Amino acid sequence: MVVKVKDLVKRYRDILALDHLSFSINEGEVFGLLGPNGSGKTTAINCILSLLKYDRGEIWIFGQPMRPDAYDIKRNIGIVMQNIAVYNELTAYQNIDYFCGLYVKDKNQRKKLVNEAIEFVGLGEFTKFYPRKLSGGLLRRLNIACGIAHKPKLIILDEPTVAVDPQSRNKILEGILELNKQGATIIYTSHYMDEVEQICSRILIIDKGREIATGTKDELKAMISLGEKITVESYSITEKQISAIKKLPGITSVDYKNNALIIKSGKGTNNLETVLDFIRKENIHFGRIYSEMPTLNDVFLEITGKELRD
Amino acid sequence: MFIHIFTYRLKCLLRDYEGIFWTMLFPLILATLFNMGFSNLNSAEMFNPINIAVVNNESYRQNQSFKQTLEKVFTGDDRLFNLSVVSREEADEMLKDNHIDGYIIAEQPIKLVVSRSGIKQNIIKSFIDNYMHTFSAISNILEKDPGKLQSLINDIESKVKYSKEVSVTNAEPDNVLIYFYTLIAMACFYGGFLGMGEVSDVQANIKPVAARINTAPVHKLKTFFYSSAASIIIHLTEMLILLAYLVFALKIDFGTKTSYVLLTTFIGSIAGFSFGAFISAIVKKYEGFKVAVIVSVTMLCCFLAGMMYQDMKYIVATKVPILSYLNPVNLLTDAFYALYYYDTLTRFFTNIVILTGFIIVFCSGTYLIIRRQKYASL
Ligand SMILES: Nc1ncnc2c1ncn2[C@@H]1O[C@H](COP(=O)(O)OP(=O)(O)OP(=O)(O)O)[C@@H](O)[C@H]1O
Ligand SMILES: [Mg+2]
Repeated sequence: MVVKVKDLVKRYRDILALDHLSFSINEGEVFGLLGPNGSGKTTAINCILSLLKYDRGEIWIFGQPMRPDAYDIKRNIGIVMQNIAVYNELTAYQNIDYFCGLYVKDKNQRKKLVNEAIEFVGLGEFTKFYPRKLSGGLLRRLNIACGIAHKPKLIILDEPTVAVDPQSRNKILEGILELNKQGATIIYTSHYMDEVEQICSRILIIDKGREIATGTKDELKAMISLGEKITVESYSITEKQISAIKKLPGITSVDYKNNALIIKSGKGTNNLETVLDFIRKENIHFGRIYSEMPTLNDVFLEITGKELRD
Repeated sequence: MFIHIFTYRLKCLLRDYEGIFWTMLFPLILATLFNMGFSNLNSAEMFNPINIAVVNNESYRQNQSFKQTLEKVFTGDDRLFNLSVVSREEADEMLKDNHIDGYIIAEQPIKLVVSRSGIKQNIIKSFIDNYMHTFSAISNILEKDPGKLQSLINDIESKVKYSKEVSVTNAEPDNVLIYFYTLIAMACFYGGFLGMGEVSDVQANIKPVAARINTAPVHKLKTFFYSSAASIIIHLTEMLILLAYLVFALKIDFGTKTSYVLLTTFIGSIAGFSFGAFISAIVKKYEGFKVAVIVSVTMLCCFLAGMMYQDMKYIVATKVPILSYLNPVNLLTDAFYALYYYDTLTRFFTNIVILTGFIIVFCSGTYLIIRRQKYASL
């Protein structure tokens, strides 16, 4: 077990930021911490890192209790914070070298590691740039390089992709998977469910500091009753037809707004066929019709009654 | 690890142009402006003998040695004082009407009464201090070795001449010296920005970079001390440049005790640095707010030490003397002043000792606050 968190409670005055949160992360996992803004992801990370005092709970990393002076543990952790943490007076290269030097004493080894990190985040052309001259996305990449250059066994990334364009984002996500392949255990927090779906092998969904659900993405989707979401774009559907669709076998709910009919069904294989049959029979004109499998947003929606994305 | 952190810190500081502006260029510019403003300030005010009175009471009549010393300095063309021997009431009256700048009551110890503060009053005080100092030496030696009396009398005369010379030859720069001394003190305390930066950079609740430092496998106080060493080196260098500029370019007179002047600058720099660190540690707000606190406290202290209005220093010293000791900028200014003005080091060391006390308070306060390892909120 790389990380074990037990019964973590954190209060900021009258805000309960973490409410008896427990989870554990195994070696080699890409563990996703998913939750809307203000759900307590950063707070949980900061507690794990012993930056924040917490009111209750226990935290172990690599099997040992985590403390501010547990330098042997810290040596093997790499962090990429939500806020950019680099020195404006140092160039990109110097920043990476400075932080790497806090972990790695040997100069030659460090040089190699720093160059690998630069290569890894694709900052090769920008090594002599000062942070102010870097664009938002490049700055994020520098922030990542500073956190991972020393090749840690556990890498914690707190929303590393905010304000990054889709192309850079994909590169970062691929990079994270690559780090994982090289043997690092990853903790990845985000409120973008598609990112989490894309890279995480196991996911913990939290809301208001509480665990909502945990498991692989398939396990999470299996937890809810929603099996399929069918959208029919059409202008000409009558109230009568809508209530008739509601009565079709396997259909759980029907919603018609903005000329789009959204039909939710339970698990099963031939829901789309049933709906299509009905539409043909009633001779309803439609533009497009498509079916979606449930997303993590649907999981969140079904459990909490609200959208993950606001 | 020391070299790694230290050299990178130096790089950071040398590229922090804004910081360098405030801690070095700003004092240099201010010194240049002071110098331009003062260059013709005092030429009109040539040295004239100071009008003083001495109260003609029993102890004055009996204190022959004091009487004689006074007589020596109020005769001759280049005399220091115009002396009137009057009653206490007359003396009060004359002081009120500005006929005299102060009067002396020859009690034990000798008292000086002045109505306002200024350079003339200070010369009188310096004279009395000198006298008292020598006098206690005389009575001491008379008890032990009366044979040395003659050499002592010579000594008194040379001392009197000395204080005359100090005051006469330096009458012009005297008035402006305080301004430059407070300026150095201000520059020392602007080193507080560096102290502030060092503390912020290891406090995870202030700066994201500090969160990184806090998660690294190096004790954060170690990081703090190593990088503070770089800050202090930078600030000392800046102060030496300022001193060199004052001495060699503006020809400001710091007296003859060069090594003590350097020591004072060194202590001032440390005091300023630790002051900023302390403020940064106790003020739990964003950096702009800390800067505002450091600037306003420094400026208030400078004002009270006489940077904007020279007589302020004397007003504080006479009306609320405790404040002169609680004002670190004044202690620094006064240390330079004492080095220049007095040939004994008592007053100088009093200032330095109190200043060192301040440094200890600032440092231990800072230590107690930043050694904390977890934060209640980030
Ligand atoms: N320093 C603080 N003082 C008071 N309350 C705080 C503080 N930091 C966070 N909170 C509160 O704690 C809760 C959790 O915040 P946290 O930053 O951990 O959320 P998050 O999941 O990281 O959100 P985001 O996706 O926006 O980064 C929020 O309600 C937030 O308002
Ligand atoms: Mg967050």
